[in-house]
Amino acid sequence: MSLYQLHRCVFDFLRAGEVSSGAAPSFDASNYDLSDSERKVFEAKDIAALYQLGFHPVLLNGYCRAIGYERSDYRAILASQSLPETRVGRWHKEPERNGA
Amino acid sequence: MTEISIAYCSSHAPMMAAARDSAEEQQRDRFFGALEAIRDDARRAGVTACVVLSNEHFTNFFLENFPQICVGVGERNWGPTEAWLPIDKAWIPGHPGLANHITRSLLNSGFDPAFSHQLELDHGVMTVYHELDPQLQLPLVPIVQNCAVEPMMPLRRWYEFGVALGEAIRSYVGLDRIALVGAGGLSHFIGVPRVGDIDEEFDRWFLDKLARGDLDAVLDMPDDELGLAGNGAHEIRSWLAVAGALAPSLGQTLAYEPIYPWITGMAVARFEPVS
Repeated sequence: MSLYQLHRCVFDFLRAGEVSSGAAPSFDASNYDLSDSERKVFEAKDIAALYQLGFHPVLLNGYCRAIGYERSDYRAILASQSLPETRVGRWHKEPERNGA
Repeated sequence: MTEISIAYCSSHAPMMAAARDSAEEQQRDRFFGALEAIRDDARRAGVTACVVLSNEHFTNFFLENFPQICVGVGERNWGPTEAWLPIDKAWIPGHPGLANHITRSLLNSGFDPAFSHQLELDHGVMTVYHELDPQLQLPLVPIVQNCAVEPMMPLRRWYEFGVALGEAIRSYVGLDRIALVGAGGLSHFIGVPRVGDIDEEFDRWFLDKLARGDLDAVLDMPDDELGLAGNGAHEIRSWLAVAGALAPSLGQTLAYEPIYPWITGMAVARFEPVS
């Protein structure tokens, strides 16, 4: 029921070595206090939904790689979650274009 | 008293070891050439230990307890953690004398570091340390930094931490010469839609600021602005701590290569105090 529990679940999943691109039959997610939607996201390996939930990107990167996605694969999946960036950093000479 | 004979920073993308040949040859040669030159200088200078600062990537700590600073005070630490990183797995010798002195000195300087008697060293430390000593024998004091999990210590505070760290190292009796190393950055994006992008404009701006010793515009930057150069850009905290340790200092860029197969702005810079 908290994003922490979902993070802990994925972290333990990775640490348990269930890192093939196939199913992870021995990993038991029932011990984690996840909401129905969080459990569904985890079981479906829905990385776009994980990103949308605010999942930590360093852990998301490890999870994506562990379940078999190349970076270019998950970039394509996450592209749908990308919002136009209007902010600029003090180092930018001209406005940054999102995805440029 | 201990002299910081060599102070430098380097990017630490794991692909520099795991996918070395994926980089364009000239870029690769320039990047590793800078690290080789530093290794040669370290040998000539006779450094007998090193202190390496790097980001914590959920290797030692998780969300139950996430220190901003952790000093490895143990006799030895294990690395690299990642099975796929092509660096020999080994117990890396620590230096408890220096590490405990640093920890106590920092506590007396207004910082509150955690400490660990056994750390796991991931690519963040091991890629750069391996370039400094391929035999993995040089005693290493690791300092793990939070550069990834909000809230993080502000940039200016990391620079001030570096000032205190430099004083701590120099006041240690028991070693003559050490290398101080910052490992991380520059711009890169991890686990986000822009994964693979590099903000070359940021990298060049940051390196220019280091070269001029003109850091106010960097140190005043809030994290949400720095994050525009990628969530991995928060690792410049390692660089700012090294700059602080030699303050006032200038950081000379020895190499800068935006290496897209490694998804990171790869830089090496060496720091010298301004006399």
